Amino acid sequence: MTVLTGILIGLATGIVFGFVLEKSRVFEPGIIVGQMQLRSFIMLKVFLAAVITGLIALAVMHGAFGVKLSLKPLVWQADIIGGLVLGAGIALAGACPGTSLAQVGAGYRDAWFVVLGGIAGAVFYGYFDTSITAFFAEKGAKVTFAELAGYPFWMVAIGFAAVLTIFLVALERMIPWRQEVGTNVDGVLPQDAVTGSAPSRETSHRA
Amino acid sequence: MPSLSDKAWSPYMAGVIIGLLQIPTFLLMDTALGASSSFVTVGAHLAALVDPGVAQIKYFTSHMAGAKNWWQVAVVVGIAIGAFVSMKLSGSRRPAVSAVWARATGATSLAGRAPIAFFAGFLMLLGARIAGGCTSGHGISGMAQLSVGSTVAVAAMFAGGMLVANLFFKRV
Repeated sequence: MTVLTGILIGLATGIVFGFVLEKSRVFEPGIIVGQMQLRSFIMLKVFLAAVITGLIALAVMHGAFGVKLSLKPLVWQADIIGGLVLGAGIALAGACPGTSLAQVGAGYRDAWFVVLGGIAGAVFYGYFDTSITAFFAEKGAKVTFAELAGYPFWMVAIGFAAVLTIFLVALERMIPWRQEVGTNVDGVLPQDAVTGSAPSRETSHRA
Repeated sequence: MPSLSDKAWSPYMAGVIIGLLQIPTFLLMDTALGASSSFVTVGAHLAALVDPGVAQIKYFTSHMAGAKNWWQVAVVVGIAIGAFVSMKLSGSRRPAVSAVWARATGATSLAGRAPIAFFAGFLMLLGARIAGGCTSGHGISGMAQLSVGSTVAVAAMFAGGMLVANLFFKRV
């Protein structure tokens, strides 16, 4: 494939991605920080809905048509330490690498600094890649839960998708998403409503 | 029916559309959705402008050329364009700094946020590159492939995020 074709496919994919990141409000710092404080669940809702859809798509593509998976290896220390550092950055940024660009598009100016810091962080890692990978000294195997369980991929994927769907239905019943977006659609709710969040949300849902 | 000029869509509809993007990505690009390695591609090209030694570092050179690397750069550029178009259609342009920061950290101005934002971005990509993926690559894509490593990384991400948001921020 030529680089130009890749860029055109990437642009089309990214535009749809960015459009729905904005529409779902999941790119909002208020929603991302709210998720990390368990005051908002919109991030989890978008995230799990995307995982469920991906599970079903891959159950069909990989299970029925043999499309190759694109797995990352299991490297315990790197996954845990890298994940913790990344998570700390996500909370401080109120963004993840992808949503920081959505914030730039939607007008948040501090997101430009997140993107610049991100480029600097990626370059810093690049210079120390050899020593960091040598430090962790893990080979890592590409392993799925389906292999661990000894069942076909499609079966475990559909089963996991079903469990996550039940979880999301229950979550939405307890905390409807419309109550989480806020009047300025930035996930920032009135402070008094926030302090009494759990009971007031449930009452209004049952009313 | 949701309309293109709505300010907010159901998170479930948005999530399903993001999940469906895996189909063209796997079929056309032979890979999964991701975002963080594009920062290496752009960063490596910028670093190469001032440091000729970049050409000797395999991690950089492996991210600098080819359709897959530029595909992902185009994805993140597309994300900014898509969010811009959506914001224009609904007329919900965002201010310089989200109101949530006044509550969480007391920062109300761009000058107050900028240094933290830069540091946050640095940590984000340093962590993502150590773990080999971010919320997209490990999260949305890894978990959809039942990857054990990605699930470990996602658990660590949420643990790190919750730790910082609860230790250093006021309740939002």
